[in-house]
Order: sequence, then C-alpha cells, then structure tokens
Amino acid sequence: MAIKNFFEPFTALKHLGMKPHTIRLPYEKKVPADRVRGFHSNDLEKCIGCGNCAQICTCQAIKMVEVEDVPDGFGRTKFRPQVDYGRCSFCGQCVDVCPTGSLKLTDKIVWVTEDPFDPETGWVFIPDNKKFPYEGKGWTTSPETSLLQLERQEMPERDPEERKHDFGPVIKGFTEEAALIEASRCMGCAICMQGCPTGMYIPHYLNAIEHADYERAVDIFFINNPLPEICGTICTHRCEDACVLGIMGKPIQIRYEKGFAASQVDDYRKVLGYPEPEKKNKKVAIIGGGPGGLTAAFYLRLKGYDVTIFEALDVLGGMMKVGIPRYRLPQSVLDKEINHIIDYGVEVKYNTRVGKDVSFDELKKNYDAIYIGVGYHKGLSMGIPGEDAEGVMQAIYFLRETNLGRPPKIGKKVLVVGGGDVAMDATRTALRLGAEEVLLSYRRRIVDMPASDEEKHEAMAEGVKFLPQTLPIEIVKDEQGKVKAVRYVKTKMVPQPGGKRPKPVPIEDEVYEWDVDTVIYAIGQAPDLSFLPESWLEKLELDSRGKHIVVDENGMTSIEGVFAGGDIVNPRADVISAIADGRKAAEGIHKYLSGKE
Amino acid sequence: MNGKNEIIREFEYFIGPQHPGITGNFSIKLKAKGDVILEAEARPGYLHRGFEKLMEQRHWIKNVPMVCRICVPDPDPNEVLYAMGVEELAGLEVPERAQWIRVMVLEMSRIQAHLSYLGGISGALGLYTAPQWMTGDRDYLLDRFEELTGARVYHIYTTPGGVRRDLPEGFEDRLRETLDYIEKRLTDYYRLIFDNPVFQKRTIGVGTMDPDWAIENGVTGPNLRACGIKADVRIDDPYLVYDQIEFEVPTETGCDMFSRAMIRFQEIQQSINIVRQVLDRMPKGPFLNKPGNPLMWRVPAGDVYVRVESSKGEFGYYIVSDGGVKPYRVHVRGPSMTHGIHVIETLLVGQRVADVSPIMFSLDICPPDIDR
Amino acid sequence: MSLEKEQKVVDLIKVSFEDAEAEIQRERRVKVKVAPNRVFPLVAYLKGNGFKHFVAISAVDWIRDGEIELVYHLWNYDEKVHVMIKTRVPRDGGSMPTLKPLFNQAETYERDIHEFFGVHFEGNEKLDREFILEDWDGPPPMRKDFDTRLFSAEFYDQEDLESEALRLKIQPYKGHLKK
Repeated sequence: MAIKNFFEPFTALKHLGMKPHTIRLPYEKKVPADRVRGFHSNDLEKCIGCGNCAQICTCQAIKMVEVEDVPDGFGRTKFRPQVDYGRCSFCGQCVDVCPTGSLKLTDKIVWVTEDPFDPETGWVFIPDNKKFPYEGKGWTTSPETSLLQLERQEMPERDPEERKHDFGPVIKGFTEEAALIEASRCMGCAICMQGCPTGMYIPHYLNAIEHADYERAVDIFFINNPLPEICGTICTHRCEDACVLGIMGKPIQIRYEKGFAASQVDDYRKVLGYPEPEKKNKKVAIIGGGPGGLTAAFYLRLKGYDVTIFEALDVLGGMMKVGIPRYRLPQSVLDKEINHIIDYGVEVKYNTRVGKDVSFDELKKNYDAIYIGVGYHKGLSMGIPGEDAEGVMQAIYFLRETNLGRPPKIGKKVLVVGGGDVAMDATRTALRLGAEEVLLSYRRRIVDMPASDEEKHEAMAEGVKFLPQTLPIEIVKDEQGKVKAVRYVKTKMVPQPGGKRPKPVPIEDEVYEWDVDTVIYAIGQAPDLSFLPESWLEKLELDSRGKHIVVDENGMTSIEGVFAGGDIVNPRADVISAIADGRKAAEGIHKYLSGKE
Repeated sequence: MNGKNEIIREFEYFIGPQHPGITGNFSIKLKAKGDVILEAEARPGYLHRGFEKLMEQRHWIKNVPMVCRICVPDPDPNEVLYAMGVEELAGLEVPERAQWIRVMVLEMSRIQAHLSYLGGISGALGLYTAPQWMTGDRDYLLDRFEELTGARVYHIYTTPGGVRRDLPEGFEDRLRETLDYIEKRLTDYYRLIFDNPVFQKRTIGVGTMDPDWAIENGVTGPNLRACGIKADVRIDDPYLVYDQIEFEVPTETGCDMFSRAMIRFQEIQQSINIVRQVLDRMPKGPFLNKPGNPLMWRVPAGDVYVRVESSKGEFGYYIVSDGGVKPYRVHVRGPSMTHGIHVIETLLVGQRVADVSPIMFSLDICPPDIDR
Repeated sequence: MSLEKEQKVVDLIKVSFEDAEAEIQRERRVKVKVAPNRVFPLVAYLKGNGFKHFVAISAVDWIRDGEIELVYHLWNYDEKVHVMIKTRVPRDGGSMPTLKPLFNQAETYERDIHEFFGVHFEGNEKLDREFILEDWDGPPPMRKDFDTRLFSAEFYDQEDLESEALRLKIQPYKGHLKK
C-alpha cells in the first residue's frame, strides 16, 4: 500500500502529452452544435404577426409590438415579436408554434452590450435577421416537430358516383367529436378575422364550440351574421385562406365548424333572446330578398324599424335560393335561417318587381330609406355566331329554373363555358339532371380558374371533363336550328410584363369541334339596374367600369337615403360579402335616420 | 490540562448560504462543542422560486421549459417525470422510439450528474485535480447534450408525447466515442479518488447510517444502495423501457461516505452499458405523438404519482388535473427533501465541522429540489 | 398483467379498516380514502405490514369544496406497491395528528405543508420554525386563493419597480472594450 501510494503520483506523468480539455490552448473558438438554441432571428417579411410565440412563452418574454415598414395586408398584421432577453430562457417553444417558420433560434449565444437598459442597444429588442442572422445552424421548426395541430379532421363526403345522380348534400357533416377536435386546433391568433368580410369573431366562437357550448357560439355568430348555417355550408371561407395553420399544414375548417354549431341549435330566437325593440316608426324598403337584403332587414328590425322586402320571385333567398344548387345548400337550412329573420316581423312582398309592379319613385316617396340588393341576375354572352341556336342558355337561367323546380330540357352532351363557381354549379347540376357527358371549356389553365379548389376537385371527381385553354368561336346549328357542335380554338398562355397574369392567345390554326347538344354560358353576370328610372340612374354613381355602384363607408350611394350592397357593390360576389354589406348598410341606415331627427 | 478543556465552549456555526463547501444555496446552522457537532439544523429556502405554484398558472405544455429547473445538476428526470405523469393522465401514447431516447437521455444525465458528484466530493476533501477532470470530461457529455437537445444544462427536450427532436445525424457514433472515452477514464478516476489515502481516511467509516434506519427515514437511491439494500426504481417500479434493458444494480455495504461515492462510480459504468444498449436496440419510427393544441389541450381529471430513479434518489411527481387546460396541482418530491433535511441533521451529530461539507456532498443534496 | 399483489394490499387494508375506500389505480398503485383521524392508525398498520418507505405527503387545495386534501405516499420495497392514502381536512383550521412518531422525515413534509397550505399538524414541534419562507406573514401561498400577480403588484408597487430599474442603471465597465 505504502509503496504503491508512493509511486502513484508518477502515473500522472502519462497525461503530459495529452491534449488538455479543460483549458483549450491555443484558444479554440467554441463551435456550437447544429441545433443549439441561441438568440432569435426573425424574418420580418415572412412573419405574419400572429402572436403565437407571445402566447406560448412561459417566461412572458415575448411581447407583440407594432412595427413600421413590414408588409401589411391579407392574412397578416404589422405586429412583430419583441423579446426581452432578461426573461427569455431559450426553450424554443416560440419556434415550435411559429406557423410560418420565420422565427428561428440561431447559433449566436454570446452578445455583449454596453448598456442593457438602452432602448436601442439594450436587451429588449425586436429580433430581425440582421442582428443575429440565421446561417443554417440553430433551432428551427418543421411540420414534424411543430407543436401546432397541422392535421385536420377531414369532412366526410358522399361517394362521387353515388352523389352525382341526386341533389342530396355532398358533405355528410361533422360528428360532434370531429367538430370539437377541429375547433380545438385554433390558437386564437385572430388573423382569420381579417379574412372575413363581415369580421366574424372566429376565435371566440371556435372556443365556444370547443367547449361544446353551441348556444354561446350562436350568440357570437349573430353579432354580425344572421345566416350562420348557410355560411357554414357554402361560404367562400376566406377566413380559412387566412388561417395561419394553412401555411404549414391544413387550415381549420372554420366554415364547417360554424355550420355544425349552428345546426346544433334549432331555435335561434329562443337562444338569442333579443329584447323587443323600441318602435321607431320609420320605414325602410329593401329591394331584393337575397343575403344582403335579409341581413339588412334583420339588423334594422332589431333596431325597431319597419322593414319591407320587395322580392321579384315568389321565394326569398336570392342567389342562395336560385343560384346555388341544392346539393350544396339544402332547402331545410335555407328555410330555417330565412324564417328566423322573417319571424322578427319583416314584411315581405313576393312577386313584386320594382320598376314593374311598383315604381322606384313610389318607394322613394313612401319609405324613409331604401336598400338595394338586387345582385347579378343577368348572364353575359360571348357574342359568337350561332348563339341563337336552340340549346344555348345562360347558367344563371339554367340554375334558377332548376332550383325553382322546373329544370330546362338539356341534351346528353353538355358544354359549359366558364371557369367560375357558377360554371362548376352548372356542370354538376347538368350531371344531376341526367347529362351523360359534361364538358367544361375554359380559356386559361385549370389553376387560373376562379372557382374554389374544392369545387374543382368535386366536379372532377364526379366526372366533369375539364378542357382548359380552349375558346369556343362558333356554335354550329343543325337544320332544325338546334345546337350540333361547337367549334373552338386552342389557346396558349402568353406571359404578361409587370407581374400580370398570363393572357390566353388563340392559336390560329388549331381549330377543332366538339359534338354537343347543349351549351351553357357561365362566363360572368351583370347587374340589372333597369328598374331604376332614367332620372335616378343618372344620379347614381358607378365605378369606372360601370359594373358596380359606388357607396360610402356607411353603404350609402350617391343618392341620399338610398343604400346598396351585395354583388352590385363589391366585386367579391359571395354570400358573406353581401352579408357584410347588408350589416354595414343597416348601421348606415340607422345612423342616417337617427341623424335626420 | 483540565484548565485547557474548560475553555472549549459551545459554538454556533452558520455554514452557507454562500459557502464553497455547500451544494447550491443552502445553509446549515450548527451547534458544536469545539469542532464536534452537537446539533444541526438545515435551513433551505434560498432558492425558492415557487415552481409548483407557477405550474398551476401555466398551460400543460408551457410547463415543459420550467420543470427542468427544479434540479440543476440532473435536470432530465424532471422533464421525463412531468411528461410521464401528464401522459398517464391524458392517456397519451408515447412512441417506442421516444421511450428509448428518454432512457438514453436519463442515463446520460445520470453519468454527468455522477461525474460532478465525484468532482464535488473530492473537491470538498481537498483533491482539486478530480473536480478539474470531472468537469472537463463532463463537458464532452454536455457537448452531446448540446447536439441532441440544443442546450447544455437545461435541455427542455422531453415533452408530453415524446421528445422534441429526433437524434441528429451521426449522433450515435459521436456518443459512442464519448462513452468509450469516459469508460477509459474510469480507471484513472478510481486511482485518483478511491486509491487516495486522504480520501480513504476521510470517508471510510464517516457519516454512516444504519440500513434499517435509512429505509425508515426515507433514504433512497444510491445513498440507500450504499447501505447494502438493493432498491432501484428502475427495477422495482419500472418505467419507460427499463424492463427490457439488462443492467446491474451495484450495492455496497459500508453505509459510509466511501460506499456512497463508490456506488456512484460503479453506476457510471452501468449507465454507459445502458446507453450502449439503447443505441444498439433503439427502434426506428416516430419520436413525437403530438399532444393537442398547446393552448387548448385539456387533460382529463385525475391524479397520478410517477417516480423515476434520478442520480440522487427517488424523484417523484404527484400531478392532479381537474380536467382543465392547466395542472391543478403538481407536487414535486425530490430526493433531497429527506436527504437534505432530516437525514443530514441526524448524520452530522457527533461529526466534526470539517466533515460537514463532505457529508453534504456525499448525500448528493440538491437544494433546488427542496425549495422547488 | 395481473393485479394480484395490488388486490392483496387492498384486502389487507379492508380487513382492518372497513371504513377505508381502497381501489387499485393501476399496476403497483393503490389508492385509499380514509377519514383524517384514521390516517395515523392506517399508516402505522401499513408500516407494520412492509410499507417501510414513507415517500412524501402531498397537499391539494380543493377550494371549491373548502377542503385540503392530504395524500400520504407509502412504498413497499418487498411487494413493490405504492399506496396513496387520501384524506381531507377543512381549509379553515384544518388539523392532523403528526406522523413523526412513525416516520421521522414526515416532520419535514408537515412543516412544508404547514407553511404553504396552512394545515396544522398536532404534535409537530418544529411546525412554527421557518422552513422555506422567511419573514412571511401573508396567507399560505400555495393555496388557490393566493394570487401571485396581485401580490407582487401590491408588494412591489409597480411604479416603484420602474424607478428601481432606472436607479440600478449602472455605468457599464468599458475598459476591456476600449482595447
């Protein structure tokens, strides 16, 4: 023992030649690992300012502050995260909930500042990608590691082969479990509210749905949308385009969530429990019983005005009733929501076309304010030879007649011209009416079609044949004056300077023919303002292209006391925009009439 | 001579909260006659950060960055425990691969904790080479942690549902290299520490506890195994995939400081073996089964007690959920809660003042898990 | 997975403590609910039956019921079963007999719970000694009705905090940077 202990220290000599590791000399710079968590780097252009990072931060180190010179617009805010490095613990959870991947932790772990309290050089600052640039090393997020709920609950659909023969609904609807899971994906950033024309309180109602509190959800819907279940079925869901989860994964199906919650409540009136309004003894006329007119009527009625809707047809609902096919929007939903509005004491004059059955001057004289919500019910034509043939019709007419229960006669081979939602509706309705082959001609590419992606997919699944980059040039008639064929020309896409979308140009020598017996035009619609007398029409200010009426921020046109909304005012041409306009006009009318006293 | 004895009076010593011989911020008040301790009173509280209370105020996922801070030298048991408890309450399945990775992380953490333990106890006895070596070698392991988790000390790696990231490319090979290096060094450590006569003189037979007394007074982990009792949570109450791994549980019969250090030394070898098995047998597959939306995820009501074998002893979490988005109560049972208060107060009586710091190191007391 | 040994523990408890509600939670976990005055005899009984390891005492403030739940964790090294003994005492003036005569270290947990939950433990001499909190005269801080934010807003007056930060604005040392 003693001898061993005596020699023991000399064994240390073997370490003499070894590389020292406690003090590395000559000085070696520490190379951080690939996924080290250092200071933040944030691509301010890519960041959308959703604030998820501030929400998740355990240390409350992140605050959202408004920043100048960052891109603003649809689906983003001007807020950017500001990090207090006195609090930050570099856990990287902010990165894991970043929906864009703009926020990263870099490998920069050393930083010296002379004055930590200085607002310019201090330890509280807005990370950008200059101060600590991300150079390929650090903590980043990916769909695999993100804490966000990127997977969605797929909406069950009926089999295309089965559904294409009847007008029953395409979607089967959420189960309660799926709806609750889907609602629970929301992080509450409220970026979606910017997408919604009427600014519905989406995170709030999703939260209510997540708690299975459908009555609270309905209460929130009716703040600015009196047709929630209709919107929950056929809305163009711009909110979902804005949803931040859509950047890395799939957006929350806000539309179906709304539809589901609304369908869980049978008696809106009882749930809402709005008090009986004070009578105002003022009369408002509403021309057109579409979504905008109904919305305006609802909110005006809640404020105590006497409201009369003048509807040219014998049904209410406008385009929702006569434009949208029943397989997309069931009649029961329409009835439920429209009856709820009418129930509040709205007077409806059916089969009363303003300009024919009652004059506009009369309305102007008898009513304190007028809302025009007549929509686009006039189809456009292409102006090619042979349009007078039998079997050529407007999609608007075709859908209206079908929806009113008197479908026009169509042949076995149907050609639909156009690429919008109306064109999709026309093709799919034609299929359901027994057409064997339905062709869809569009002059641009499929990706350029203005129709929504899901409509396109559903139509394709049902067997509609898409013919992109084709342009009909002549309709060939047979001896009886019926459609025999359509002559068309192929087009090519010519890129346009200045970032404009490519223009289709016909290729002169590529002319072919389709053998069809019915042609449906769905190339656009126009307003029919012929009900207005010349004298009023002159006073009415239209936009430069003459397609839309110009209104002020209250929804009032250039004629005092006349308000307008819906397709004739805004180019978005969807139900939710019409609802937004109706809501705005209702407020405007209230302001106008209160101010008059 | 008699007259000289009379001037040895009773003293009160205050050791800590800032003292090089104290692990962390902790203080012991001693009453001694000369340098023989008559009474000891442990005084925690200098590190109280109210984690248990803070955890009640944060969403389930948001607590992940916080729990590791409960024990500085060995943070991973906290992360794994919290995740395991939440998973058991929520019925969340953990992918197979994640379980193996967790075992690997726990054992890596055990190795580095034991290395700093050996450095600490040697340092307290004046062997200043050992802390240098241990710190330096531990650094290689921390490098691996940095590669795997992105951080050296507070890894924030385990999250309910699995682990946050998969192994980086080439990580297995580098980890094997590090393990080989540490294994090679073990002989050096043995000769440096356990062969050292000073170390032997100061530790053998000092700070002993009776095995039965140890069990009844809540001594756990390596401290209990140093009393000859083969008790290990990894075997007794198996968690993760420990029941599929072969390893030995070393025991010593000395019941003193030397045995306690020796147990740790032997456990380093066992942990190296475990990590090697994990590297060999870890299956491929997903590493994270995502829990729900971090801000909305609700864990069903219930309560659960989960425990792991940390480098210091039995670490347990008692988690209560009332079905909400935040924990209703999280109680952290750290091994130091018994070792650091009652056990040390008893062990110190009759010892000399110079032995206070080695005894404290030998019990591996971690004040943060008393204060939580 | 057989739950034989867990069932044995349940039976063991049921034999002597008819009023105890014992159930198997899962493998190696048994939950028992008893009245506060039965805890001491039950722990003593279990200690005599192999439950030698006293793990911890957890406290949960069920403010809606006006009660504090105490959970005594025991572990049997031989049978490898964990028993949680749950009992509830009123929030106001709740008192329990100390377990110190059975397990010495219970004293530590009792001091902790006394300080943070305000439960009194009859017979624990060190109860009034400061454990973790120093000079604390507020309500027991782990109780649900103790609002940490409100407390810090009141205790550290927010305005004062601001001025304190300004006052602490120390002149940084620049020597090493000049070179």
